[in-house]
Amino acid sequence: MNKFMLERLVSKKEKLIQKYTFYKTFLPISINEKEEKLNKKIEYLQKNKELTLKQYAINAGIKVDYLEAEKANKLQKLEEKYSLKNKALKQSKLRALKKQDETEVNKIFDEKIKTLLASKEAEKEKLNNYYAPSDHIDESLTVYKEKETEINTILEAKEKVLKDNYNQSVKKQTERVKNKVKDLEQKIENLTKQIDKAKSSIEDLTYGINDEVLLRLKDLTMRFGGLLAVDKLSFDVKKGEIFGLIGPNGAGKTTVFNCLTKFYNPTAGEMYYRKNELEVTKLNDYQVHNIVKLGIVRTFQNVELIWELSILDNLLVAAHTNYQTGFFGQLIHTRGLAREEKVYRNKALKILKDLNLLQYQYAYPLGLPYGILKRVELARTLMTNPRLIILDEPAAGLNDAETEELSKTIRKIRDEYNTTIFLVEHDMGLVMDVCDTVCAISFGKKLAIGTPKEIQANKLVREAYLGEE
Amino acid sequence: MNTLLLRKSKDKLKAFTKHPYFGYIVFGLILLAAQLLTMSGMIQKSTMDSIILTLIYAVIALGFSLLLGYGGLASLGTAGFVGLGTYFTGYFAGTLDLPFGLTILISLIGAVLIGTIVGFISLRIEGMYLAIITLGLSEILVEVFKSFEAFTNGVDGLSFRTFDLFGRLMSDEAVYIIIIIVFVIVMLATINIIKSPTGRALLAMKNSTSAAQSMGISLLKYRLLAFIISTVYAVLAGMLYMINSKFSIPTTWNLALSLNILAAVIVGGSQSILGITLGAFMIFGLSPAILSNIQFFIDHPAAISIFNGLLIILVVMFYPGGLIRLLQTFVAFVKKKYVEFKQKWKEYRYGKDE
Repeated sequence: MNKFMLERLVSKKEKLIQKYTFYKTFLPISINEKEEKLNKKIEYLQKNKELTLKQYAINAGIKVDYLEAEKANKLQKLEEKYSLKNKALKQSKLRALKKQDETEVNKIFDEKIKTLLASKEAEKEKLNNYYAPSDHIDESLTVYKEKETEINTILEAKEKVLKDNYNQSVKKQTERVKNKVKDLEQKIENLTKQIDKAKSSIEDLTYGINDEVLLRLKDLTMRFGGLLAVDKLSFDVKKGEIFGLIGPNGAGKTTVFNCLTKFYNPTAGEMYYRKNELEVTKLNDYQVHNIVKLGIVRTFQNVELIWELSILDNLLVAAHTNYQTGFFGQLIHTRGLAREEKVYRNKALKILKDLNLLQYQYAYPLGLPYGILKRVELARTLMTNPRLIILDEPAAGLNDAETEELSKTIRKIRDEYNTTIFLVEHDMGLVMDVCDTVCAISFGKKLAIGTPKEIQANKLVREAYLGEE
Repeated sequence: MNTLLLRKSKDKLKAFTKHPYFGYIVFGLILLAAQLLTMSGMIQKSTMDSIILTLIYAVIALGFSLLLGYGGLASLGTAGFVGLGTYFTGYFAGTLDLPFGLTILISLIGAVLIGTIVGFISLRIEGMYLAIITLGLSEILVEVFKSFEAFTNGVDGLSFRTFDLFGRLMSDEAVYIIIIIVFVIVMLATINIIKSPTGRALLAMKNSTSAAQSMGISLLKYRLLAFIISTVYAVLAGMLYMINSKFSIPTTWNLALSLNILAAVIVGGSQSILGITLGAFMIFGLSPAILSNIQFFIDHPAAISIFNGLLIILVVMFYPGGLIRLLQTFVAFVKKKYVEFKQKWKEYRYGKDE
């Protein structure tokens, strides 16, 4: 058992867990859909019953709600039709008056109006006759009752079949998923055991880093030609805290972020990240598009959204690494892909609801207010199952009310999604409000680290910001 | 029970008309109907010829749109790959006399391989530089076509005979039907790609490389994928070209064709399947199908090019979104006029509301 094999076991376990959560989230969605289908079918049956019984009910003179409604509706339509005809007559009379003699026109149109009224009465009577009960009410009543019982029995039988089918399919699916889930649980348990076993036989993989620490920068240095942007910066970010990085303009804050997410390769120094409870990895070894698989996700100083996609699709882009369907599956749109789309769409909708963005789901980002776009970016980070969210100036360009709301949102995200948040910010109000730990840097060098109060009191920090002697 | 059945089938029909495939399948059926009309002599053969040619070029343009409209990559080497497709067909099914199914398989695998190799070399750069590299590559391919005589029969051009598929000799009419069916399949495949995570990844890559990367989209992988897809489409179109016109000559596959494809995609609207088909028709099908039947253009053949050029300039100047935007604006205009007319008619008939 060596380190490499252990890593494979761990990644296998992670994949299984992903599958496991997928099956669990898919089941209720699928059952919900089936229920909707069932309800629709039952509705059809009801309507069919009404239609077949209609004539018998009329004959028997029974007052049924839907019949009354239908009659009233028809009457109203009749009235409307004749009022329009009346209007048309008036209008053509007006036109005729311009050309012809008044008395003659009056004569013609009086006649026309008379015929119109007569035809209206005739139609009304026809309608009434249609809804009038037949002459032999008693006979019709017995016939109606017979028919009703007959149809009811048929209907009940059909409904029962439908419901049985529904129950069976739900049961089948639940069982199948349960079996799969059980299987997966078993596998995961086995893997956990194997991993535990392997853990004891192998040397420490944590580089001696404490359990609580999620991210450790050690002597991080970034040099652009002659410019030393980050100079031997070291600090720890603990699990579950909100960590703020502050500093004057050009202090190298964004460079630190770019190093962390591997947009830049640091010149020197190590970045340690706790991958799971067992292992700590060096971020230095990862490529930029693999960082998100570790659960590290970032936002950008200037909003970087996909302008040609709707907000919902923007969120789905963030679920990209979760899709299991391969290219050929996507080419023919397999059922597996449809399932996955459903699951992630639901997840995206839930996140949008959490962040009060639901009304924008079909909107395109272009033209939306800046504050909304920033929130969409935040929502997008949540789609990736993040463990560490890196926010690059989340309050830039927001007004006071929006900033206040943002600080609430940041806390809410930390608590509800169990993540750690690492942010760079110029708005001192926000930093001092939400952060648990603040680190101040200037010209790439660390000035101080501590609670917001300690930082506020720190002399070096004040000098860097205000230039005090 | 009948009323119920009617309502049910009505609902189903409604659901089907809203399916994304619906429009494309209807389009394919219209084309098939046109082909049947041609066979019965109601449409001129030359018109159908140019429509079929348009469809072949539209296949190339669809592949190119995945590269340009979705992936944001401009390549000028398309024509070379189309030529490759024609020679694959001519060589394997013609010269070597392999079964046609096997030829298709070999050609598609060859397309994937060549797309991968070329992509791997050229996709580390973007923008104009990529266009220039692929341009050079295309010129190399043309020279290869000219001098590699065992494979391509050199500057004299390679001809192809009728071929059999499913044990049957394919007549010209059957070839047309094959081309229409393949075109519909290509459209459906394209819409599937666009509406899948891959399509979103391509758009993400085009809009913001940094956002795409931080969401786990590997730039090289998806650029390569887009490039391979467009190569496969081009080779497929080359095969269709060969079974249709049965002759391929190296000089056809030069830069001008690549530029024409680029123009078709831009003029049509780089992201719309219908738009691109329209664009391909405007660039490749308009003059043989319509203009060459007009007396003025028969008398002055040079005017055709001028007219075509003017049309392209006008569309690009006033509708940067492409022909599809023009079509959409037109439909919206007609709808608005219809509503207005209805209102006016009501006023005339019933008088103004008090």
